[in-house]
Amino acid sequence: MSQSKKLTSHPAKKRFAAVFDSFMPIFATIAALLVGAIFLLLLDANPITAYSALLEGAFGSFNAFAETLVKAIPLLLVGLGTCIAYRGSVTNIGGEGQMIVGALLSTWIGLSFTNLPGWLMITIAMLAGILGGAVWGGLPGVLKAYFNVNEILSTVMMNAIAVQIMNYMLRGPMIDPVQAEAASQIPQTARLEMAYRLPRLVPTRLHIGLLIAIILAVMVYVLLWRTTLGYRIRAVGQNQSAAKYGGIDVKKHIVLALLLSGAFAGLAGMMQVYGVNYRMITDGSATGFTGNAGFNGIVAALFGQLHPLITIPASILFGGLLVGANSMQRIVQVPSALITALNGLVVVFVVSSEYFRRRSQRKRIAFIESEDEGKPPKERSEGLGEAAS
Amino acid sequence: MKNTIKLFSLLLITVLLVAGCTQAAPPVEEPEVSDQPLRVAIVTPSSMNDLAFSQSISDAMQALQKEMGEGKLEYVYSENMFVVDDAAAAIRSYAQQGFDIILAHGSQYGSSVQEIAPDFPNTVFAWGTTVDTFDMPNVHAYEAASDEGGFVNGVMAALLTETKVIGVVGPIETGDAKLYIDGFAAGVKSVDPEIDVRVTYIGSFSDVALAAEAATTHLSAGADVLTGSAQMVIGAIGKAKEAGAYWFGTQADQTSFAHDVVVASQVYHWEVLLREIFALRQSGVLGGETFAATLDNGGQVIKINPDLDLGQDVLDEAERVIQGIIDQTISIP
Repeated sequence: MSQSKKLTSHPAKKRFAAVFDSFMPIFATIAALLVGAIFLLLLDANPITAYSALLEGAFGSFNAFAETLVKAIPLLLVGLGTCIAYRGSVTNIGGEGQMIVGALLSTWIGLSFTNLPGWLMITIAMLAGILGGAVWGGLPGVLKAYFNVNEILSTVMMNAIAVQIMNYMLRGPMIDPVQAEAASQIPQTARLEMAYRLPRLVPTRLHIGLLIAIILAVMVYVLLWRTTLGYRIRAVGQNQSAAKYGGIDVKKHIVLALLLSGAFAGLAGMMQVYGVNYRMITDGSATGFTGNAGFNGIVAALFGQLHPLITIPASILFGGLLVGANSMQRIVQVPSALITALNGLVVVFVVSSEYFRRRSQRKRIAFIESEDEGKPPKERSEGLGEAAS
Repeated sequence: MKNTIKLFSLLLITVLLVAGCTQAAPPVEEPEVSDQPLRVAIVTPSSMNDLAFSQSISDAMQALQKEMGEGKLEYVYSENMFVVDDAAAAIRSYAQQGFDIILAHGSQYGSSVQEIAPDFPNTVFAWGTTVDTFDMPNVHAYEAASDEGGFVNGVMAALLTETKVIGVVGPIETGDAKLYIDGFAAGVKSVDPEIDVRVTYIGSFSDVALAAEAATTHLSAGADVLTGSAQMVIGAIGKAKEAGAYWFGTQADQTSFAHDVVVASQVYHWEVLLREIFALRQSGVLGGETFAATLDNGGQVIKINPDLDLGQDVLDEAERVIQGIIDQTISIP
C-alpha cells in the first residue's frame, strides 16, 4: 500500500485532509506573508508592526473595510468570469482588456446621453459594459472554437489592443474638453452626470455594485450547477469528446464560456467608472485604469477555488490584502517595491497551492476508487461524489 | 501533508522569533497641535528614486528638510500610485491622519483632489503639474515650465548632432512630458530646421523595455543624440549609453546613471515653490495659488555634465539661451 493510502486510510485523517485542502489558499497566503516578513526584516521593518498596519488598513475601521469592499467588487466580477471560463476549460487572461472595452462603451453612452433618468442610464450602462466585455471575450472564443487559436495568447493580445484603443479614445474623441484645451492633456473623459453615479450604500465610497456582484455570484452558481447551459459548459470543460458524443455543441459552448467571462469583466469596468472614478482615466497603461483587477480577479477566483460563492469571501480577502498593503506602505514607509513583491508572492503561492490542492484531491479520489473495488456500483458513485465536491 | 505543515510552522516560528528581536519601526504618528513639525504627505505615481518626476519631489523634500531641520519638517510618501483609485485612497487617508500639506504629485490626481479637498478644509492640497486649483480655498496648483529647459536642451542637441537625426522618447502626449518635448523640438529647430527630430510616444509611463526599444529604433535610424521624459526613460538612457549617443535629461539629474553620455539635465527644484506654499500656510492661506517652476525663479535649473567636453561654443550658446529665456528676449514658439 502506498504512503498516500496510509495517510488517508483513516476516516478522520481523510476528513482532515479534505478540510486542509479547502483552506490551502489561506495557508498559501500566510506562507507568502511569512516570506514577505523576511523581506520586511531585511528592510529593518518589524513584520508584526507592518502586518498589523496591513490588517488595520484593510479591516481596522468602517471606512477601511468599505475601501476593501470597493476593491473587491471588480475582483469578484472578474473572478466570476474566471470561474465560468475555467469550468468550460478555457483560460481567460483578457480581463484587463474586457474591463477597458466595457468601460469605454458604457462611458461613451453615459457622456453622450446626459438627460436620462439615473436609474435608466445606469441600467443601459451596465448592459453596455456587459456587451463590450462580452464582445472582447467572445472574439477569442470564436478564434479558439473555430480556428483553434490558443485563447491564452489571443486574450492577452486583445488586452494590448484594448489599451491602444483606450489611449486613443481618452486622448482623442473622448477626452475631457477641459483637458483638450489645457496644456496637460490628461487622458481622461469628462465627469459623468451626478445622477448617473452608482448609489452609495453607506457614507463611504462603497457603492451598490457590491450587492449586484454578490447577486451575480449566486446567479453564476445557479447557472453552472442548476441549468442546462451550465451543465453543458461544465461537460465541455470536463471532456470535450464525451460532450460532443452526448450531443453538445462544443464550439458554441467554448465561445459562450469566454463570452460570459468577458461580460463579467466588462461589467467590472463599467462599475469602476460609474461607481468609483465617475470618469474614465488612465496613465496610458491598462493598469492605470483597471488597477490590475483584470489579473487579480483571476487570483481571487483561484483563491476561491474557482467556485463562484467561495469567490465572494476570497475577493474580499484579496481586496483587503491589496488595500491593506498600500496602507502598510504608508504607515511603515517601506518601499513600494516591497508591496509589489508581496502581492506577487501571494499570487505565486496561491496559484501553486491550487496545484497541490488538486493533486491531493486526485489522490483522495484514486483512493476511494481503489477502496470501492468490489463494492456495489451505487456505493461507489456516492463515494466519488463526496470526494469530488 | 505533514511535511508541509512542519515547513509552515518552522517558517512561522523563525519569523516570529526574529521579529520579536527587532526594534519596531515607528509608525506614523497621529497629528498633534500646531506647534508640532510641519507634516507633509506626498503621493507620487512612480518610485521616489526614479531619476525623474518622483525623484524630483523627493530631492526637494530632502533639501527642505536639511534647510529647516528634521525637527521642523517631517514627510511621508506613497510611491508608485499609478492607479488613480489607489492614489485617491492614499490622499484621503493622509488627510484623515491630519497631515498639514498633501502633495498630489501627478496631474492625473486632479479629480481625486477635487473630490477630497472639500472634506478637509484645514488641509493644504497641492497638486501638479497643472494650473487648475478648481477655485477651492485649500488647493494650490503647481507646474513646471518644462518647455524652457526643453528648449535649452534642444539648442545644445542641435549643436552636438553630427548625423542631423535626434531621437525623442516620450510617455504619452500629456503634462510636462509633452511640454518638454515640444520645447526641445522647438529648440532644435531654432538652430537648424533641417534636423530630423523623431518623436516617439510609447504610450506608457512605466514600460522601461518599450522605452529602450524606441531608443534602439531611433539609434538605428541614425540618431546620435537622444532625449526623453518621464520615469521609463531609464531604458532609453541605457541604450544611449551602449551606443555612445548623447543623452539630454529632464525632471531630475540623470548624470549619475550614464556619466559618459548625459550632456545636461533640466532639473526641477520644487523646493522653490514649496517654500512659498509653506510660507503661505503660515500666514493662513491654504490654497488658491498657482506656482510655476521656471528658469527665472530657480524652480528649474539646467545642470550640465562638467566632465564632458562639449566645446565652449555649445556652453556659451546654452548660457545665452538660458539668459534669453529669463530676460524674455527669447520666446519659445
